[in-house]
This record gives sequence, structure tokens and C-alpha cells, in this order.
Amino acid sequence: MTGILVFILRALLAVSLLAFLAWAFITLWRDMQLQIQMLNARRVPPITLILEDEPGSQREFSSPEIIIGRDPSCDLQLTDGTSSSRHARLSFHHSQWWVEDLQSTNGTFLNEERIYTATVIISGDMLRFGQVVIHVAILPQL
Amino acid sequence: MSLAAVFVLLYAVILTLSPAVRLHTFLTPLRLTHWIGVVIWLIGFRILVRQVNRQLIDHDPYLLPIAALMTGWGLLTIWRLDEYYGMRQTIWLGISLLAMWGGLRVPGLVNQIRRYKYVWLVGGLALTALTFIFGTYPGGDGPRLWLGCCGVYLQPSEPLKLLLIVYLAAYLADNMPLGFKLIQLLTPTLVLLGVGLSVLIFQRDLGTASLIVLLYMAIIFIATGKRRVLVAAVVLLAGAGTAAFFFFDVIQVRIAAWLNPWLDASGRSYQIVQSLIAMAEGGLFGAGPGLGSPSVVPVAQSDFVFAAIVEEMGLIGAFGLFALLGLLLVRGLRAALLATNSYQRYLAAGTTLFIFMQSMLIIGGNIRLLPLTGVTLPFISYGGSSLLTSCLAMLLLVIVSSRLEEEPATLPRPQAYNILTTIGLFTLTALACLSLWWGYLHADELIYRTDNPRRYITDRYVPRGKLLDRSNQTLSETIGEAGNYSRTTRYPALSTTLGYNDFLYGQGGLEAALDPYLRGVQGNAASLIWTTDLLFNQPPKGLDVRLSIDSKLQKTADNLMNSSQVTGALVMLNADTGEILAIVSHPYFNPETLGQDWEQLKGDPTAPLLNRVTQGLYPLGSAITPFALSVVLDSQPLPGLPDTLSIKVDNQVNNCLLSPGLEPTWSEALQFGCPAADLRILNLLIPSQMSQVINRAGFDNSPVFVLDVAEPILPSIVPSPQDFVNGRQSIQVSPLQVALAAAALTNEGNRPAPRIAMAVNTPHQGWVILPAENSTSAFPVNGSQEAVKLLASGDFPGWQSLAVVPTQHSEATTGEVTWYMAGTLPDWQGIPLVVVVLLEENDPYTAKLIGSTLLMAAQAPK
Repeated sequence: MTGILVFILRALLAVSLLAFLAWAFITLWRDMQLQIQMLNARRVPPITLILEDEPGSQREFSSPEIIIGRDPSCDLQLTDGTSSSRHARLSFHHSQWWVEDLQSTNGTFLNEERIYTATVIISGDMLRFGQVVIHVAILPQL
Repeated sequence: MSLAAVFVLLYAVILTLSPAVRLHTFLTPLRLTHWIGVVIWLIGFRILVRQVNRQLIDHDPYLLPIAALMTGWGLLTIWRLDEYYGMRQTIWLGISLLAMWGGLRVPGLVNQIRRYKYVWLVGGLALTALTFIFGTYPGGDGPRLWLGCCGVYLQPSEPLKLLLIVYLAAYLADNMPLGFKLIQLLTPTLVLLGVGLSVLIFQRDLGTASLIVLLYMAIIFIATGKRRVLVAAVVLLAGAGTAAFFFFDVIQVRIAAWLNPWLDASGRSYQIVQSLIAMAEGGLFGAGPGLGSPSVVPVAQSDFVFAAIVEEMGLIGAFGLFALLGLLLVRGLRAALLATNSYQRYLAAGTTLFIFMQSMLIIGGNIRLLPLTGVTLPFISYGGSSLLTSCLAMLLLVIVSSRLEEEPATLPRPQAYNILTTIGLFTLTALACLSLWWGYLHADELIYRTDNPRRYITDRYVPRGKLLDRSNQTLSETIGEAGNYSRTTRYPALSTTLGYNDFLYGQGGLEAALDPYLRGVQGNAASLIWTTDLLFNQPPKGLDVRLSIDSKLQKTADNLMNSSQVTGALVMLNADTGEILAIVSHPYFNPETLGQDWEQLKGDPTAPLLNRVTQGLYPLGSAITPFALSVVLDSQPLPGLPDTLSIKVDNQVNNCLLSPGLEPTWSEALQFGCPAADLRILNLLIPSQMSQVINRAGFDNSPVFVLDVAEPILPSIVPSPQDFVNGRQSIQVSPLQVALAAAALTNEGNRPAPRIAMAVNTPHQGWVILPAENSTSAFPVNGSQEAVKLLASGDFPGWQSLAVVPTQHSEATTGEVTWYMAGTLPDWQGIPLVVVVLLEENDPYTAKLIGSTLLMAAQAPK
């Protein structure tokens, strides 16, 4: 009788230990699921770049990083001689699009102000790489 | 967190009820004292968790519950092992929780301690150094590692580990960015490390010393990310280990005990072997809190607390603990990775690794993965300094884990974390595999080791089966009350046969041979054995075993041997079935005073512990004559009787043992042991026939018997007839073997197999007869009948034969033994009987008197 009672308690004891571990692992797993969902939800808002000199030649990007320059490997290839081969980088992180100068010869300008560090850009901004002027349009995030 | 509380409360409830389970009744005082510890634990952690939740936003939600669960588990395990230590540990838990609570109230504690890093470290070293002068050992004699005052003891080497971590974290965080070379960077820390180590090594605190080296290397590795640090650590530890092996005796002992614990299981490796046995006893589910006997492992409350946990919680508990430690490692290192600056990062990684590595060291030592180091199991082991240090380390870790609102600092060298986590988890896996190995796969070998005292502990709680004689009269039984059973023998003169069952001296005789029945683990239904083991951690009630002993004949035989005050053996068999009716070995011992008399019994030259019937070896000499006679008479008539019945050996005349009549006959000459007559009979056999007699009589190997029978000693060549008669060079056999051969003569040449255990009383089928061995055909039927007829005398209802054989114990001492054998004749209508008497002196008259009186008493109508 005592044996059975205590055996049930012992089983509960083992269950409580396992439940503690299960709690830990289940919450960890949920945490991971949440992270995945959040990362999944954090889509890159597409950015549209319009070259001023060639109206109608707008290009839309949805990748989180865009390299701009004369080099053929760049995402947005420029033909103007005043831009460097790898001129600037547009990247999306911390829920913002950022522009960053890649030590170009003639500099990168945001709304006619030269930038030296990574700077946030918003829809309607005007970027200038050397003599190439590009207008930025960013779709609002869903 | 509340699950941890449920766990601790359940543990406490089970512990309360455990005495009732052991005794199978509720009418017994329950254990209650440990509830003090539970209350302190519950209130303390409740307050602490509330404070932490309020103050440290977004702290790691796993670390504190893990620490709380391990602390509660450890606390109750210690209460279970020893209430005195339990009370002390409860007080220390209160102090530790108070310290954590106080630490939380200090704003910016983590950065405060960074500022005073040298003060802390030097303070810690100074305290440790003080043990040289004021060191004591709370338990009496031992390593003087404690600073004590007024009943409170502190082991400064425990906080020293934490102080070293704080110092290293602060120092490396301050100086790493300056871009020194590795050697320049490390020189000051190496100096301090050296000072710390030398203090510890001189104090013989080698476990802590090796842990500190490991910790140091791990933190440097984390900080620099250079793999060669890791390699250096391995090389350094191996080198230091080898050096220590030659310089410190204690290391030599530990390493030897680790490499081969079985060699010296009762001495130097006693602890580790007992620890493994405890784990094997735990098995899969464990004995249950309060139901095992982990306190038989030395220092179970501190060094071997893991063994205690596995014994009572089983492999489930062990794996649970491993999972907790793994979780702690991963979450702790995660907190380190997410820390906002490198000081906090090193601090968090250091404290995590400190708790984890110390656990691995001591658990590994407990299950023989690593040599034993005398460190504690953090949070669980008994030890105030250790508990306080672990709690403070956990406090720092929780504080660091809470700074998540800021971006983590950049991580230049991530591979160190990967490597250390991999090593840590790999070690955990190895520990889990090894505990499975000892606790489950190899459990039986360990449980049935003779140095496992748990059997004798359960003997106090579960009645052992009785040993009964053939008419169900009790010979040995268990008396007393549950929890205090003891074994008593109703017939002490049978002690050498019945044997003993003693906590200190193990088992002997039938108590050992029939142990599975008497203990109830054989003969009972397997399901019953399994359930009582699972529910009560005990075997079922023992089963009674009926022996073939006839108390009346046994008493007569003992009286005969006692009244003539002789040293020797007597055995009476049923010649047909081999059942032993009486078995005497004088002198004997009293099994109830075995503890007091042990040393005296062991040293006694008359060997009272020896069962002479089965274990005594005596020269056979001319006692072989009756057996040779049966072969001779089968094929040829007797030649004439020699003229002189005595022979001359070494200018000494050997006469007949007892005087025959004036006109002696063959019958008289052989019955009374006349050497010339024996010699003439033996001379009729060629050597190959002689060796056949030895073989057929069963003198060349010991019979299959429930008790151990001594292996006979045979000379490499068959002795000549002269050697047999002179006893110069002879076969040495046990009285039981002679009795079996004699039974063959009475039983028309068929030699029975000996039996003493007849039947066992099982709960479902009643008395179940134990299987018997078959008899073997030994001597020719005709020859045997002729031989016993020849050896019979007119005034005695049976046949008989006498022999006196010299024994040579050594060159200096020589003695003689007397053999007397007798048996019933084929025309006897009752049970065929045979008796063999052996006296360790030259006394044919007494031997004949004892043997013939017993045989006549056995034949007398009841």
C-alpha cells in the first residue's frame, strides 16, 4: 500500500523533472519559431531607383543589398565616367534602407549633401553618384 | 519555476513517507525535519525570483530556475543523507539567498566589482594563504583547507575561483584592445595564476588547482580565440598530471584507483567502487528518495552526491541532471554572446564554464570517466562555501543576461564559443553513455559484488527464509521486528554447514549456497520480485528450504563427538539417494557471536570455521582397501592370509589397529586395519586397476554439491600399495568423498550424488522438490556385495573398516588421522545407510565407537 502510494509520487517526481525540462525545451522551441516568423515577416520593402538622365528607366530591387557602380558585377550598373567602379551600397537593415559610400572618387551625395557614413534614405530622396542622379522611391512596408 | 517547486515538494513528500515504505506499514514515525529546508528554499527563492523579475528586465528565464531546482534537489538529498548536514546546508542556503538578494540591491554590481579587481583577487589569495596558518579541517584530521571560527567554516579556495574569473574578465577586457602580444598580455595574469596555484598545491587542494588551470585556459581561449591555448591547456594538464603522479602520493592513489578500481576495492578505490555500485543499484528508475542506501558510499553528501542521486532517482534523474547542466551551459554562453561589452561577456562565459566544468569534473570522477578530484557539485553538494560561490556566480550571470536592450558587442572571435560548447555537450554525452553503462548495462555485476552491503541492509527489513530439517524442524531462522531482523541458528553445532549471513563477514555455508531461495529472488514469481523491487527496493519475503538433515541422528552424532572430545568430521548418508542425514565438523563456531570472535576464529589452529566434511582434505592411505577389495573379489578368490599381520616400516612395527582374535580371519584382519592384510589385497591389483579404483570411487575430482567441496590432491603417479599402507605418499580427499564411495559399496556399486537441500516452500506450488543429480555406477555389483559381506562381523549389524594414516603437515610436525567407515548390509530392510568418521588423531577405538554407535542408533526402531 505504502509502496504503491510512494511509487505514484515517485512517478510524479520523475514527471515533474521531465516537465521542467520539457518546459525549457518547449519554450526554447517556441522562441525559435517566433524568431523564424519574425525574420520571415521582416521582408525587404522593394526599392525603386529612377535614373534622372534616362526617364522611364526605373528599376525595382527587393534584395537587401544593392551595389552601385560601373563594374559589370554591380546590381545597378552605371555608364557615366564620373562614377567609380564600385561606388556605393544601398542596404536594408534595422528596418531602414541605408546608403553607404564605398570610398568613391567623386563622392556620394544625398539630397546634394556629401555623405561619409552610412545614412538612412527615405522615399523621395535624391542620390547623386558622381554626376549620376538617381531618385529613390520605397514602397511602404506591409 | 513553479515546476521546480513541484519537484522539490514531491521529493519532500516522498522522503517523509520513505520509512513507512521500508517497513510496509503506516504505523511508524515519518521523517519531517527536512521540511525546514523546503520552507526556507520555497520562501527564499520566491522572494529572490520576484526581486529579479522586478529589477532585471528581460533576463534569461532559464538560468535561475535551473539553479533553484538543482539547489532544492541537492538540499533534500543532503537532508536525506544526514540531518545534521541538512540543517547546516539549510542555514547556508539562507545565507546564500540573502547574499544574492543583497547583491541585487547594489546598483551596477557587475561594474562595481570590475573596478576593484586586484583587491578581490589579492584578498582571495590572502585568505587562501591564511589557511597555512589558521587552516583547520572540520571533520577532524585531513587537509587543512578551511578557515573556521565558532562552528562556521569557510573554504577560501571556493570563492577564489570566482574572484579569479572576475579578475581575468576585467583584466582582459581592459587590456585586450591595447593590442599587446599574447605573451605580454598574459604575463601579469600568469604570475597571479602561479601564486594561486602554488598556494593550492602546497595545501594539497589539487582538484581546485586543476579546475583553476582549466578555467584560466578556457577564459583565455574565449578572449583570444586562439586554438593553441586549448592545445597548451591539454599539454599543460597532462604534464602537470604526470609530474603530480610522481610527487604526490594522493594523486598516485587517485590515478591508480581510476585506472583499475577492482584491484583494491576494499582499500584505496573503496569510494569509487561503492559509488559505481550505488549507481548500479539505482538502475533505470532509481530506488526512490529515502529508499536506497546511498549513505554507504563514503562522503556521499559532498564528493559523491551524484552517486547518491543516481541511486535514488535512477538514470532518469541522472539524465535530467545532465540536461539541466547542458541547458545551463547553452543559456549561459548565450548570455555571454549577447553581453554588451567584453568584460561582461568574459564574466558570463567564465561563470558558466566554472559551474559547468566543476560539475563535469566531479561527476566524471564519480562514474570513472576522470580520476577523482575532490571538488563539489555546484548547487547540489554539501558545503557552504561552495553553495555561496555558486549562487553568487549565478547572480552575476543573471545580471549580465539581462542587458539585452542594447546591441551586443561585436564578436571578433566566435569559434571559441562553438568549440567550447561542442566540447561541453560532448562531455555530457560521454557521461550519459557511461552512466547508462554502469547503471544499466553492467548493473548486475556490480550489484552482486560481495562488497555491496545493501543486501544485509535489506535483510534487516525483509525476513529471510528458514532452514528446516527433514521433518520441518527449524534449524536457522530470522527473528525480530521489521527494520531490526536478525538471523539466529537453533542448532549451533551445525554452523559450519548452515553457514552465516553477516553484514561484515559476508556469507558462508548453506546460507551462501541457498541465498537466492532464502532471499526470495529465486522460487518466487518473477513479477513479484520485480514489483517488490520497484515499489519497495526490496526482495520479496524469503522462502524456507528443507534440508535432508535428520535432527535426531544429528544430535546423537554431535553428542558422540562431544563426549569423546575429538577434533574431526562425521557424515552419515542415505546410501541410496545420497541425502546427508547427519554432518558434523568439530570444533565449530557460534554464528551469533561471529563479530566478536572473528579474529580469534580466524587465527585458531583448530580451524572452527572450516567445514571438515566438505573442505577438509585428509590422506586416504589404507582406507582405500575396501574399495580395492570390491574389485579384487569381483574377479578372483582371496589368497591365504599373511602369517604376520603387522609390517615393519623404518624399523618400526605397525600392528593391527585393533587386536583381532587368536585365530584371525580375513574378515577380522580387514575390519581391524591389519596392515599386512591391506597390503596383500592392494598387491593383487596392477597399477592400471588401482587408478581405475581411484577414478570409480570418485577420488580424482570433487562431487557436484550445493556446498563447495575441496578439490582432492592427487600425486602425479599412482601410489604403490606400500605407499598406501605406509601413508607416505597418498591421495588427499574430503570425508564427503569417502562417504560417497562407501555408499557405493553398500548400494551394490552405485555411487550416489550428495544432497542436502531437499525442497523449497514456494508461495504458489507449496513444497517444490529440488532436482537431484543421478548416481553413477562405481564398483562391480558382485564385488561390492562380496566385499561388504567380508567386512561384516557377527556382532555388528553392518560392515566396517578402519585405517590410520600419517599426515605430514611439514617436516617438523607430523600427525595421524583415523578413518572409520561403516554401512548397512544388503539384507537390511530399512534405508541403506553409511557413516564415515574422521578423527585428526590416532584413535581407532574412539572412531569405531562413534561410528558404530551412530549406525546402530540409526537402525534402531523409532
